[in-house]
Amino acid sequence: MSVFRFVCLMIFFTLATGCAVGNKYDYQQIDIALPIEGTGVLGLGVVESRDYIVSGDKEPDFIGLQRGGFGNPFDVTTDSGKPLVDDMSTSVANALARSGFTVEKLNLPSREASDVAAAVKAGGYARNVILTVNEWKTDVMMRIKLVFDLELQIIDQQGKLLATNSLKGEEVIGGGGLESSNAQIAASAFESKIGRLFNSPEVKAALVDI
Amino acid sequence: MQRSLLPLFFPWLVALITGCATSLTADVDPSADLSSLKTFYVVNQPNDRRGLEVLIADELNVMGKKAISGKSSTPPEAVDAVVNYVDRWMWDITNYMIQLTVEIRDPKTNYIIASGNSYRTSLARESPEAMVDEVLNKIFTQ
Repeated sequence: MSVFRFVCLMIFFTLATGCAVGNKYDYQQIDIALPIEGTGVLGLGVVESRDYIVSGDKEPDFIGLQRGGFGNPFDVTTDSGKPLVDDMSTSVANALARSGFTVEKLNLPSREASDVAAAVKAGGYARNVILTVNEWKTDVMMRIKLVFDLELQIIDQQGKLLATNSLKGEEVIGGGGLESSNAQIAASAFESKIGRLFNSPEVKAALVDI
Repeated sequence: MQRSLLPLFFPWLVALITGCATSLTADVDPSADLSSLKTFYVVNQPNDRRGLEVLIADELNVMGKKAISGKSSTPPEAVDAVVNYVDRWMWDITNYMIQLTVEIRDPKTNYIIASGNSYRTSLARESPEAMVDEVLNKIFTQ
């Protein structure tokens, strides 16, 4: 192979994969600032409901795609190696703790409503924060697209729904850059969306006077 | 493809893919009334040695707000909102700002009320002043 062809081949592979392989974002150590303050003990559960995770098509640590120079996709995964919902649960628990609550994580074996209700009942907490992740992934090439579908429910210990709020959409949240930059933008978007879910009069009212 | 064209093809492809991409976005809490925010404190990002906090405060003042800036993470006086930012720079013959993210936060809870982002690669580069201007205008006209 001539040097010229070798160089062309190297350029091709760099364009095709570049910095696209093995990207990881940290959703576990995000300092989420919530627009609420309160006291008391909360049960917290984050439910994995992304169809491609539940079906086993993707691993639970899948959080999106990074595309190479020709649009070829590579999976982006959690920096912790844990399932995305575990990382989100840690971030949200820390945020609620900073807002004054004592947080106990609920053990949710599946996304089935009966399993969620059983976990809430078993926990016995007066208020339970259930975050259902129907979709959360970034798709990065020249821009960062976020696809999200989140539902927040506040449930009492009898399983009665006290408040709910949801967010769903597709948004360009920034320009695609290096892994650290993309991770920071994705983390900021997560903070915004979680804060937005809690910034509802019904949700705030359900979390006072526990 | 003829071998003689290959040296032209690859630089063209690289420029096409990476050279002139832009995006300008804003995300504002629908329940927020940004027009009610009159006073701002812009916090210097510790990694920023170029003084972007001053540019942001200046632009807010031009927009009719009252803005101050500083290195302390807490405002020196009561304000309606605190402004944070993240700037990213690249080198392509000269240094240029490739991305600017601005967040407007509640001073009491630190909750993100609104955020905006401008992304401009090398061929679409603008001055920091222009990028600050377009991000803030995008946020406040969202």
